Amino acid sequence: MLQIKNLKAGIEDNQILKGINLEVKAGEVHAIMGPNGSGKSTLSAVIAGNEDYEVEGGNITFNGEDLLELNPEERAHNGVFLSFQYPVEIPGISVSNFIKTSISEKRKAQGLDPIPTKDLLKMMREKMELLNIKKGYLSRNMNEGFSGGEKKRNEIFQMAMLEPKLAILDETDSGLDIDALRIVANGVNKLKSADNATIVITHYQRLLDYIVPDFVHVLYNGRIIKSGGAELAHKLEEKGYDWITKEADKQ
Amino acid sequence: MIHLGKNTKSTIIAKGISAGKSNGNYRGLVKISKRATNSRNFSQCDSLLMGDKCGSHTFPYIEVKNNSSKVEHEATTSKIGEDQIFYCNQRGIGTEAAIALIVNGYCKDVLNQLPMEFAVEAQKLLEISLEGSVG
Repeated sequence: MLQIKNLKAGIEDNQILKGINLEVKAGEVHAIMGPNGSGKSTLSAVIAGNEDYEVEGGNITFNGEDLLELNPEERAHNGVFLSFQYPVEIPGISVSNFIKTSISEKRKAQGLDPIPTKDLLKMMREKMELLNIKKGYLSRNMNEGFSGGEKKRNEIFQMAMLEPKLAILDETDSGLDIDALRIVANGVNKLKSADNATIVITHYQRLLDYIVPDFVHVLYNGRIIKSGGAELAHKLEEKGYDWITKEADKQ
Repeated sequence: MIHLGKNTKSTIIAKGISAGKSNGNYRGLVKISKRATNSRNFSQCDSLLMGDKCGSHTFPYIEVKNNSSKVEHEATTSKIGEDQIFYCNQRGIGTEAAIALIVNGYCKDVLNQLPMEFAVEAQKLLEISLEGSVG
């Protein structure tokens, strides 16, 4: 589904990603871990198409298409979803209105008519139930005055509504208490299918207790320096990053 | 806004949008006469800036002739951020549509007060006049 080959990217003159290789197949869950400043969020921003970052080399293909040729909204239409680490507030626009616009734009790009409001509301109700979201939430303004947990839940709600092929969760666990974490993780698990894939970016093993990854990658200094199964995350929790990063520094 | 009678109340909500190289000014007089005791006024002036060459200024004039009235003034300036646009882009909403959405959200307080037909027109007008204003 997603192939990243020797990806190099940075911001201004500062190279952050120094040759990333990653392959994600449908149905898989990949976790990307690593110390602060290793390039985790940069990687997600580059996949989503944030123009603040400049791609200096390598390529990304998504379902056979060159992702780097597409602008951010086209990537979204093709099924790339990024759950933001810091979701942005859009004052005056209700959650339902935002999601409606988002879905209509996607359908327009695919040459489909807008979804009937009745069907949309039904779908929203279903997904709200899935994520334990209370009534009244839909008419609140996008992320305005939301608590940290509500913002993250709102991201997952949008993910549920947009049904992406590839979901990237950028530190979705940060700022969540243990109950909210469980709800969000359950939501992600329920949305998982054989046709979609998930990349979980996190600092902590904690989230991976709930969303069990098929692969764990350690990102350090712009490179993936170690990959393994779910047991690698446990090992990291126990030993920290030092034992791997030291090895990488030697090389 | 001129208050003559006692116990009178008023609210002013002004919303300005400055794009390109434009400058927006708000000048408003709130006058409370001597006999208009216990009167209240609340003024809110918001400005939205698009781009980095525009500006916005607020000059509230307040004249109060008695000491039992309350007059409040609040002003905010906000900018359509790259991060807001990217957020919308990521959700499949193109840049032009994202700007229209953000501007509509910003104007909602005012547009909501307009009669239905007029509000729709105003919304469309905004979309047209702001087309291409953020590069």
